[in-house]
Amino acid sequence: MAAPILSVRDLHTQFFTDDGVVQAVDGVSFDLFPGETLGIVGESGCGKSMTALSIMRLVPEPGRITKGVVRFRDQDLLKKTPEEMREIRGRDIAMIFQDPQSSLNPVLQTGYQVEEAMLVHDKVPKERAPQRTIDLLKQVRIPAAERRVKDFPHQMSGGMRQRAMIAMGLSNTPSLLIADEPTTALDVTVQAQILELLADLNREIDTSIVMITHNLGVVAGLCTRVIVMYAGRIVEEGPVERIFDNPQHPYTWALLRSIPRIDASRHDRLKSIEGLPPDLIKPPHGCRFHPRCPFRVERCFTDDPVLEDVGPEQRAACWVTMKRAYAEMGARDLVDVSPGAASGVHAAGKGG
Amino acid sequence: MRQVKVAEPARRLEPAGSSAAPLVRVENLVKHFGAGLGTSVKAVDGVSFDIREGETLGLVGESGCGKSTLGRLITQLIPATSGSVSFDDVELTKLRGEKLRQQRRQLQMIFQDPFGSLDPRMTVGDIIAEPLDNYGIVRGRARTTRIQELLRVVGLNPYFNNRYPHEFSGGQRQRIGIARALALNPKLIVCDEPISALDVSIQAQVINLLEDLQREFELTYLFIAHDLSVVRHISDRVMVMYLGKIVEIADGADIYESPKHPYTKALLSAIPVPDPKIQQNRRLVELSGEIPSPINPPSGCRFHTRCPIARVPGICVDSEPPLEVKEPDHVAACHFSDEVALVTAPAE
Repeated sequence: MAAPILSVRDLHTQFFTDDGVVQAVDGVSFDLFPGETLGIVGESGCGKSMTALSIMRLVPEPGRITKGVVRFRDQDLLKKTPEEMREIRGRDIAMIFQDPQSSLNPVLQTGYQVEEAMLVHDKVPKERAPQRTIDLLKQVRIPAAERRVKDFPHQMSGGMRQRAMIAMGLSNTPSLLIADEPTTALDVTVQAQILELLADLNREIDTSIVMITHNLGVVAGLCTRVIVMYAGRIVEEGPVERIFDNPQHPYTWALLRSIPRIDASRHDRLKSIEGLPPDLIKPPHGCRFHPRCPFRVERCFTDDPVLEDVGPEQRAACWVTMKRAYAEMGARDLVDVSPGAASGVHAAGKGG
Repeated sequence: MRQVKVAEPARRLEPAGSSAAPLVRVENLVKHFGAGLGTSVKAVDGVSFDIREGETLGLVGESGCGKSTLGRLITQLIPATSGSVSFDDVELTKLRGEKLRQQRRQLQMIFQDPFGSLDPRMTVGDIIAEPLDNYGIVRGRARTTRIQELLRVVGLNPYFNNRYPHEFSGGQRQRIGIARALALNPKLIVCDEPISALDVSIQAQVINLLEDLQREFELTYLFIAHDLSVVRHISDRVMVMYLGKIVEIADGADIYESPKHPYTKALLSAIPVPDPKIQQNRRLVELSGEIPSPINPPSGCRFHTRCPIARVPGICVDSEPPLEVKEPDHVAACHFSDEVALVTAPAE
């Protein structure tokens, strides 16, 4: 395989709040290869968006990147000056956000905003920019693009605005596009169109995509590889088929079981995960998922698991892993995913 | 202007063999919001359906289709422009003042935003007891007992009654909202996107809670959501809305396996399935164009501007399809519902 285009090593991003230090991203490492679509999934507060913002060096106050390396094509982005970073953003790495409404300037024509993104980086001569803007809007399938360039954002629908954001992101043919929940605010039919568009663009212009989402269905359709995050850490990563067919971390497993599916053949009670995600000012000792994990053992309370190989190109950070949970702990028969359900450890008072 | 035939009003859609009596009967319900210059937003534009006692009726549709407005009309939070809502054979739209207030005890609502729907300056106990206080039902020690009982029922610590909403997570706040809705022992709860704002791992907890409560207290739900997977899971029957009109009502499994309206089919094809093997082979039924404005909806069938099987020009432009029985307990409003099964995405 080719060298990775993006390589993140031991990234730590912390927020220094009045209540204490929030460890939003806590030792995240991963690689992204050219042309790949990588999904980062997790619940709110798991650090997936902060990982993306750290790569872009856009962490808001009072947050700071405290440690780590973000290597993008042989350059460490964390060592760049703000000016150098501004050059890279939008030119080499583009980002699209969840809310296209607040990402566009309401008093400027949409076409002008796309054009501006090009001219800032001197990628296109000024006289050619208007035509390229129209071409880009056509590429993201905005109908009547010649007319639509003059529209203000409020004259467009949510889906149109997100397309315009994508056009802006693509205006300098970046080698990496980071999409942070780009379809969460959109209706399902529009979401499906945007996802198809992203998949086409990935094929056509060979842009690598990092897709950040809480929606496992979105990942299943678009991504080739998946990273699952929980409480600031990567708990599992691997090829999309492996993660969905044979998850090895109990969190991934429980998450997949807890969501209702449109193609479910019969109505079963949902297998919910009990408890809440932890407070990242004082995260639990040992494995951060252990307070909610049905398969925890004594070691999970004290020792931090590290990512280890659990299958072809698949790694999980778990002392037990689902292989053992299936073999020894009756994971298949577990109805509700309640804490310590299988191990019996520290489950006193649960009444067995 | 072209003469447009309007669907026959108030055709009864009582399917043969349905035993449960309807708890709510909605007929020709209309809500138009004034939009200035003599125009109006036709948010809900003539809908008729029943909610049967003890069932969960799911209501899906995209943003702006009128589903939340419909929920608010049924609970009488906003007055209808015309049409009728009868609850337990009492006509609600004609009631005013104290009589309406007494009926409202039976109708409660759970809202989407667990942050906006709880007063931050009230304790959880006062929030939950507010409906009880409104009707002067219990006082003193009995009130505290009832609050603690309600907290326990929704899976919260009963001694949290003196805490404030900000001390709780989104999922816990939604439980507080549910406890408040249960306080008066209502018959019907309108759940308006109750889990959309919650995290994935918390959504299942709240869905399970709603199902448990339904069994325990014999509740009837109108469950409004844009997520068809969740609606299919929780609902006995599913109702699909498009631009202020009902386009289809059927049993959850039927609607998924054999939709009779092309819009339902498109909606289903767009829902991502968390399985890469299935998801990567699915084809999207792509809808052309955008949702038209509800100020000036298209003539005839409102879906004809985006429909893959519409006859344009033709009957779909000229006449509005009535909501009619296509199969037992399965109604749809489409002139060509037989063809929906053949609608597939264009091959690549």
